[in-house]
Amino acid sequence: MRELAPWLALIFQRPWRLVLGGVLILATLASGIGLLALSGWFITDTAIVGILLAAGTQVAVNLYVPGGGIRFFAVSRTVARYLERVYNHDTVLRLLTDIRVALFHRLAGASRTGQSRLSGAQWLSRLTSDVDALDTIYLRVIAPAALAGVITLLVALLAWVLFSGAVALGLLAITTLAFVLATVAVYVRTREPSYRQADRQEELRTAVVEHIEGFAELRAAGRTGRHGAWLLRQAHQMNSEQVEVDSKVGWHQAISHLLINLCAVFALWAGYGLYETGAISGPVLVLLPIAILGLAEVYSMLPDAFGKLGSTVSSAARLNRDATPAGEQGKAEIPAPADDHLALVAQDIAVRYDGFAPILTHFDLTLSRGERIGILGRSGSGKSSLADTLAGLLPASRGELARQPCAYLTQQTALFDDTLRANLILGNPAATDAELWQVLELVELGDRFAREPEQLDTWLGNTGSRLSGGEARRVALARVLLNPAPLVVLDEPFTGLDGDTRSRISKRLERWLEGKSVISLAHGSEALPATDRVIHLE
Amino acid sequence: MTAPEQRNVRRWLTELAAGNRRWVQGAVLTGTLAGIATIVQMVLLARIVHLGVIEGIAVSELMDLFIVLVITLVIRALFQGLQTRLAAQCSKRVRRTARRQIHRHWQAAGPVAMGQESAGALAREWIDHVEALHGYYARFLPQMQLSVIVPLLILALVFWLDWLAAVFLLLSAPLIPLFMALVGMGAEKLNQQHFETISRLSGQFLDKVRGLTTLQLFGQTESAADLLARRSDRYRVVTMKTLKIAFLSSAVLEFFASVAIAVIAIYIGFGLLGYITFGPADELTLFTGLLILLLAPEFFQPLRTLSQYYHDRAAALGAGTEILARLQDYPASTLQVKSEQSAPATAGSPSLITLDSVSFTHPGEAKPWFRDLNLQIEKGHAVALTGPSGGGKSTLLYLLAGFLAPDSGEIRVFGQVPGKAAFGWLGQKGFLVHGTWADNLRLTSPDASDVAIDAALRRVGLGDLVDSREDGIYSPVSDQGRGLSGGQARRLSLARIFLADYDLILLDEPTAGLDSASEIYILESLRKLSQAGKTLVFSTHHHALLTLADRVLTVDDGEVYHA
Repeated sequence: MRELAPWLALIFQRPWRLVLGGVLILATLASGIGLLALSGWFITDTAIVGILLAAGTQVAVNLYVPGGGIRFFAVSRTVARYLERVYNHDTVLRLLTDIRVALFHRLAGASRTGQSRLSGAQWLSRLTSDVDALDTIYLRVIAPAALAGVITLLVALLAWVLFSGAVALGLLAITTLAFVLATVAVYVRTREPSYRQADRQEELRTAVVEHIEGFAELRAAGRTGRHGAWLLRQAHQMNSEQVEVDSKVGWHQAISHLLINLCAVFALWAGYGLYETGAISGPVLVLLPIAILGLAEVYSMLPDAFGKLGSTVSSAARLNRDATPAGEQGKAEIPAPADDHLALVAQDIAVRYDGFAPILTHFDLTLSRGERIGILGRSGSGKSSLADTLAGLLPASRGELARQPCAYLTQQTALFDDTLRANLILGNPAATDAELWQVLELVELGDRFAREPEQLDTWLGNTGSRLSGGEARRVALARVLLNPAPLVVLDEPFTGLDGDTRSRISKRLERWLEGKSVISLAHGSEALPATDRVIHLE
Repeated sequence: MTAPEQRNVRRWLTELAAGNRRWVQGAVLTGTLAGIATIVQMVLLARIVHLGVIEGIAVSELMDLFIVLVITLVIRALFQGLQTRLAAQCSKRVRRTARRQIHRHWQAAGPVAMGQESAGALAREWIDHVEALHGYYARFLPQMQLSVIVPLLILALVFWLDWLAAVFLLLSAPLIPLFMALVGMGAEKLNQQHFETISRLSGQFLDKVRGLTTLQLFGQTESAADLLARRSDRYRVVTMKTLKIAFLSSAVLEFFASVAIAVIAIYIGFGLLGYITFGPADELTLFTGLLILLLAPEFFQPLRTLSQYYHDRAAALGAGTEILARLQDYPASTLQVKSEQSAPATAGSPSLITLDSVSFTHPGEAKPWFRDLNLQIEKGHAVALTGPSGGGKSTLLYLLAGFLAPDSGEIRVFGQVPGKAAFGWLGQKGFLVHGTWADNLRLTSPDASDVAIDAALRRVGLGDLVDSREDGIYSPVSDQGRGLSGGQARRLSLARIFLADYDLILLDEPTAGLDSASEIYILESLRKLSQAGKTLVFSTHHHALLTLADRVLTVDDGEVYHA
């Protein structure tokens, strides 16, 4: 449950909104209970008076107060319900924004190792369902549980005033048991499978994504049927466990409802004792059991919410794990070189990931301003990790690094599900359309997008999937080229391009990068743009 | 994908339930029995009050009734619990059926169509969208029937007690579905919109997070967060407009339920006082009056519960629409039909791959890729396909693999329809699953021995890597939190091909973007495979690979000719 703390803190940033929402729910519930209880009182009263009147006794009867009360509750229940739903859903949507933005900020500040642990499949799973789970925790769990408590206390107070302290205590004892069975007990009994549920789903998702990614290979081998059957079995098992959870929730719901009903029976029975001694009147005797029956409405919301709490906690735990803020080292700014003629100075750099052997040690590099160097190394030689370090994504575990501000083309092509323009201006938010077209011409995509009806506003689709690999790479390259930074680091800039295209772009690149310092990294010299010198990584 | 009609989505949802009718019926039956127990409970409560307050019977003489009341309550709880269990079972079965359907569709659509979709989106449909059907079958569907049965039972009883009170209930009851339908029609459409917006929004969020490194590199995380907040807030404003209308339906229900209870209470009260001189009011007693009052909320409860489950229906319809759109996208039969059509023609030679006047147009494109293409590849040959990107090399490989079917003409692989016999496929991305090296290789060759697996891994130069792991081939592939490099992953795929010993091996740019070590291993492996008499067809720009080929074909703009 501790896992929920940071998210609860976020939710409780709007205390008055939550309280007002709660008060509206309370008004709804109280109106419903009031309507029935007052009606029961009224009917019993009129029944008794009716008999007296029929017997010819003169009795004064006030019809206006109960009649007015009944009408008031009928209207207030409707109005409160409507306002409550509108207001609280607005709250939920505000929380949804709060949570997503806060999570995004936290992820942006998270350590690199935290980020790199995540694969695409896990992203999809976690960030959608986990964040969704947290969105509704206020409306599903917090508000109903709190209000069940409040309304129970109000009914107990009523019992104390109208009946006796003993009846109020008895009522509290039974409703407390019902409350525990509908909340904590459900949570405890379903915690484990419910907690595991999300992990199972995540495992299944990984397997499904693998199945789809390997679909061609599996199909060629004639194995899609078998592998698919295996996936189906996994999904079915997951659902079976869920059925168990649902059943437990159902039983708890039934039993807590039973206890509420028994509580009403208890109140009626205990009330008779008081009635026979003349301590209470017949109408009052009827009022309390009916009010207690009304508690079932709020209690019935609880078991389901608490049955899902286990998975909500696991969602929060996963989000916390991956959004752990980075230490100071991760945030350190890289200083500019002391010497004005230099673009980058690396002295005795070591590159390693936390908990692993160093990938690269004793790396030295001095780059003059305007100089272009190439770094060659086979894959696995630590080339990309070195690029990450030089660009400042991966802090050097040892050594000194000083450099000018830099624009970095990562080995992975990362485009956004957004327009071409939005993708490009990330590199330079101030870039004009003319500049965008110019850089598109450079990477030979000018014609390609000039033909599109939406031109610069062409939607690049799912992670740029409407583009071929080579096209996507060139968009990413164009984005880096737009960036005004004086130092440019390019890791495998030409992946997916054929030789001719590569050499044409390479030539234009030389002119475009005139005056900038460039570090290019590649697996072979043919994949490098023009350089002044080349370093080999071993 | 075009959105299917709502009518079709609803029919699809009904068809899914067809095989599990027993479970739905069981849930409805237990729900009905719980409803009857509720009625009995109210009868007993009213009876006890009447006897005590009006007849003045001592509580000690009412013990029997109290005991029966408690037993009734227990029975009611039992049926309530059973109802949940049966409904959950039903939903489980339905979800299995739905998943099976989607998977069958994937198989029909084939790897090329699948490759154009994001794996995440497809997985989401298979997992999350199917899960979204749960509430519909576990809650909405049984409740829909219960919301007719239970109110009718109560109505019948109230009618017998006091027909005028029953008329009040009856008057409000048909108005409720009417109003709900009116409001619901608008709300349903808006609800779907809501479903779409939320998935688009979470897509936006995911996308930003996925590209977080890029945003950080360009110093744009703040502006991305702002954009996220702005889009999210705009979405809130739009959605609230929708919800304000959608919630009217529950308000209407609430209003009628409240007013009906108020009217009945006042009617009974005045009747008991003897103020109402017409109708059955003069026969009212505290028993009948109180019973009618206690039953009135139970009359509305099933409908209120149903309206709470309405979002389950909306979720199922939203998810169902997307699933059905996918299922309709590539009708399950197209590929089979295409290959069956060409099946009765000549069988072709068992030692040749033949393309006989093959024409092919990519779905949705006007210009055909290949027109009347004729080609023969001899068994045991290594054939390289070159040509500019986008010239059709991959398409030709897909046709040979049977991943795409020609519009006309005939393709035979060693006398068989393409894809009929298992073959080796190596795409531009290697493919590995979470698990051990052995798991990964047994994926396509489940009966392979440890020795054979070890040998296959060594042939592609992964032997050292496996040796360095504690449990050899039984160690996880992506140990130590870091996966394989692109080259290593592709070599792993190649090891599968070695292990399985296929006659035909198709490779799409097997060395593109690889480091020299991986390149050498792949070249060597292909040479060995070719020497072993395997038929290799591969697309490449790579010089060393071209030298390996017995024949080099240029594929350009739908033309195939000898280089």
